[in-house]
Amino acid sequence: MSLTRRDVLLAASAGFAGAALFSPGSARANDEALDLVKQLTGRTATRSDRLRLMMPAEFPTGYTVPMSLDIESPMTEADHVRQIRVFAPQNPIVEVVSFRFVPQRSLPRVSTRIRLAKPQHVVAVAEMNDGNLLMTTTWVRVATDGCA
Amino acid sequence: MTTPTPRVIVPSAAAKGEVFQVKTIISHGMETGLRHDDQGNVIPRRIINKFVCRYNNSVVFSVDLHEAISANPFFEFSLLATESGRLDFIWEEDGGAVYALSHQLTVG
Repeated sequence: MSLTRRDVLLAASAGFAGAALFSPGSARANDEALDLVKQLTGRTATRSDRLRLMMPAEFPTGYTVPMSLDIESPMTEADHVRQIRVFAPQNPIVEVVSFRFVPQRSLPRVSTRIRLAKPQHVVAVAEMNDGNLLMTTTWVRVATDGCA
Repeated sequence: MTTPTPRVIVPSAAAKGEVFQVKTIISHGMETGLRHDDQGNVIPRRIINKFVCRYNNSVVFSVDLHEAISANPFFEFSLLATESGRLDFIWEEDGGAVYALSHQLTVG
């Protein structure tokens, strides 16, 4: 298999500092996700295992990528999640969706389908009733642009 | 554009305190406002921007949708059966159109 121009360009772009969100699992991607949340919400989020964002690691089309979210929460008046927001930092419009739950009425879990423009870390941020922000990210590689 | 048609799958009966699942979908193109027609003009944004589920008139679950929700928006969520009554499902579209369905739930 020969090395195409595309391969060379891809390899070169992977070296750029700004390309960190294109690569899975890098520490830099983590920092960028935290910065993004700070920029969008004005507050600092804490990475948490309680919040789970489940998406396929690879998906053939960017038009309808399945997404499931849940968070461990007793959903009592004293301790519940108010809303969960989802961001796709590499989409032309970064904000994807926000879900609002109600203590003792709804469970904090939901599934839907979203569009992704390119491979990226999708970011979920949960706002708890005490004002804390919990965050998680998941890497998704899509083969086609779902926003064109 | 064809008229958006909403559909829900939800049980008709549940035990008190039971968690039941709701599946909703509405046929809708979710035009993002990012596309151009053959003449190069922007195709205006027309999306479902809000979904609300009410249970006996109280909001129990709601969603703010942006451009990146796929065409034919689908949501699967879980509610707690507290009392018998009516579930209302409401979709709001850019421009103010509203599409709604309601469903009777018996809690025994």
